[in-house]
Amino acid sequence: MQISTLWHAPKHAAVAIDTIADSVTPMVLQRLFDMGLEPGQTVLSLGRGPFNGPLVVQINDCVFSIEQQVAQHIFVSTHR
Amino acid sequence: MKKIILVGKPNSGKSLLFNQLTGLRQKVANYPGVTVELKSGRFGEFELVDYPGAYSLSSLSQDEDIAVQKLHSALDHADTQLVICNLDATRLESSLQFAVQVQALARAKQKAVVFALNMADQLQRFGHRLDTDALSRQLGSPVFAISAKTLLGLSEFQLALTDIAKAPELAIPSHDHGDARAQRQLCRQLARDYGIQSDIVLKNQNRIDAFMLNNITGGLAFLLVMFFLFQSIFTFAAPLMDAVESGIGALASWVTAAIGPGATQDFLNDAIFGGLGSFLVFVPQIMVLTLIIGLLEDSGYLARAALICHRPLSYFGLSGRSFIPYLSGHACAIPAIMAARTIESPRKRLLTMATIPLMACSARLPVYALLISVLIPSTSYLGGLVNLQGIAFFSLYLLGILFALLISTLLSRFVITEQNQSDMPFILELPSYRLPHWKPLLVRVLGSAKSFIYRSGPVIFAVTVLIWILGYFPSDAGGLAHSYLGQIGHVLEPIFSPLGLDWRYGVAIVMSFLAREVFVGALGTLFGMEGADENIAGLAANIQADGLTLGAGIGLLLFYVVALQCVATVATLKAETGSTKLTMGLVAGYGVLAYVLAWLAATLIG
Repeated sequence: MQISTLWHAPKHAAVAIDTIADSVTPMVLQRLFDMGLEPGQTVLSLGRGPFNGPLVVQINDCVFSIEQQVAQHIFVSTHR
Repeated sequence: MKKIILVGKPNSGKSLLFNQLTGLRQKVANYPGVTVELKSGRFGEFELVDYPGAYSLSSLSQDEDIAVQKLHSALDHADTQLVICNLDATRLESSLQFAVQVQALARAKQKAVVFALNMADQLQRFGHRLDTDALSRQLGSPVFAISAKTLLGLSEFQLALTDIAKAPELAIPSHDHGDARAQRQLCRQLARDYGIQSDIVLKNQNRIDAFMLNNITGGLAFLLVMFFLFQSIFTFAAPLMDAVESGIGALASWVTAAIGPGATQDFLNDAIFGGLGSFLVFVPQIMVLTLIIGLLEDSGYLARAALICHRPLSYFGLSGRSFIPYLSGHACAIPAIMAARTIESPRKRLLTMATIPLMACSARLPVYALLISVLIPSTSYLGGLVNLQGIAFFSLYLLGILFALLISTLLSRFVITEQNQSDMPFILELPSYRLPHWKPLLVRVLGSAKSFIYRSGPVIFAVTVLIWILGYFPSDAGGLAHSYLGQIGHVLEPIFSPLGLDWRYGVAIVMSFLAREVFVGALGTLFGMEGADENIAGLAANIQADGLTLGAGIGLLLFYVVALQCVATVATLKAETGSTKLTMGLVAGYGVLAYVLAWLAATLIG
C-alpha cells in the first residue's frame, strides 16, 4: 500500500481516500463530502484533462473534474 | 395561485420534466441563457416553479446561493403546496444527496414532498428493476418512476401530483433521516440497495471521454466544434436573415405605396422600415447561436469544453467555467454576465464579467456586416470554401477574444488582485452524453428572440424616431445637413474628425451608446433620408460612394470591437459586480482604448 495524493493517482487506478488536508476550507470540504469524497470512500482516477488540465475522477455514480489545487490536498492509499 | 416547486441536481432531466408538465408557455424570471433563472408555468390549477439545479443546500457559488435562498423563502410561503424532488434514476446516490436535504427542510416546514425518479426508461434499457414502493417506504415520501423523455409513467404522475397538491398534509415526509452525515450514509445505502451499478451506466460516457478529453483528439474535437459553431452563425442564419430582410422590404413597398408620398411615407420608410427593420434582420442569427449553445449544453459537451479550457484560461486569471459565459457572450453580454454567477471564485467571476463585453455579441454583427461589406470585397477562394468577408468576420471575433484575454491578464495583475478565502476551486461534474430533446431547446430559442426584441426594440424604436424627427425638421432648412440633427452633428464633429469620420457617423456612434445595433439603424435613417435604400447592401453601397476611407473604416471596426456601448450591459454589469466605480471605470477604459485604436488606424492607414 502506498500513500499519495489524488492528483498523483495513476490513471485508471482505484484509490481509497485517507484524509483531506486541514488547509481545505470548510465550504470546499462540505462540497467534497456532498460529492462523495469522504475518508473511506473509493475513487477511480480517469486521468487528467488535456494540457495537464484538471483531474477527472469517478466517484460512485458521477464523474467530476477537480483542479490540482484541491486534488493535491486529498490523501489516498493506492493498492499495488 | 398555489405553487408546486421543482428541485433537483443539475443534469438530472429536470428541465425536460418541467417542460413536459407545463407545455411551451412559460415565464422566465430572468434572461434566457445558461444562467440563474426561475422558470414558472401552469400545471392545471397550480403554478409550477422550476428551481436552478443544485448539488447541496450548502452553496458554493453565487448562482447556487441565490437558488438556495429562493428555495428557503418558497418553503416558508403559505402558497407552496408541494415540492417535487427530481432524481436521476441512473445516478441514484448523487441525486438523492440534494433531494434528501430538501426533503428534510420541507419536513421541518411541514410541506409535502414527492420524488420523481426520472429517466426510468434508461433503467429498463439496462434491464434493471427498481422497487419504487420499497424506496418510498425507506424515504418516507412517495416515489414515482417516470421518464420525461419517453413519457413513461408521466400521466399517472400528473394525476398523483394534482391529488397530493390538493391535500398536501397527507404527503408531509414521515421520516427524520438524521444529521448530514446520516443523510449521506442513507443515500449511499439506498443507492446500493435499489440503484443500478454505476459502471454499467458510466461505461459509454467514460469511453467517449477517453476520446473527447484526450490531449490530441480532444483538442481537435474542441476546435472542430468551435469552428462549426461560428460557421453556423453565418451559414445557417444567412437564408433566414435574407427572408426577414425580403419580408421587411416587401412590407415597406406595400405599406408606403398604399399611403402615398408625404411626411408619413418618409417617416415609415426611413425611421420604421429603415431603422427598426435593419435591427430585426439579426434576430435569426441570435436564434441560431442560442440553438447551437443549447445543443452543446444539453448534449453534455459544454462541461467538457469548460474542462479543456480550464488550464489555458487560468494563464489569463480566468477559470474553465469562464468559457460558458464567454461563449454566451457571443449571443448577448447580458445573459453571459449573469451566467458568470456559476463561477465559484469571486475574483475569477469579476474578471470574467469585466471582459465579457469584449465578446463579439450579436448587436455588433450588424455593424460588422455593414462595415465589412463597405471595406472588404466578397472574393472567394478554394471553390467558395474561403471567403474574404468571412475571414474578416472571424478575425474580428478573434480580436475580441484576444483583447478579453489580454485585459483579463492586466486586470488580474494590477487591478483585481485580491485573493481571499472565498476563492473557490474548479470542481465540475461531467454529465452523461445525451441526445438533446427539442422541447427545452425550442423554448430557449424562442425566448432568446423574444427577449432580444423586447429589450432592444423599444430603445431602437425611440432612437430612430428621434433621429428622424431631428433630421426631418425644420422642414424648410434645406436638407439634412441643416436640420436640428445636422446642427448637433456639427457640434460633435471635432470629436470624430480625427478618426476620419464626418458628423453623420458621429451622430450614429453617439446614439449607439444606447445599443450598438442602433449604429446601423441610425446610419440607415440618415442615409435613407438622403435617398439610399434601407437594407444593408444598399446602405453599404451608399457609404462606399460617400467615400469612407479604409483607415477610418478599419478604425470604426476596431472602435466597435472594444467600446462598451450598451446601456443594458452597463446596467447588468453594475448590478452583478455591485460596483459603480468598476463599471464606470470599464466604460471609460474601453471607451478611451477604442478611440485610441480608431485614431491609430485612421492616422496610420489613412
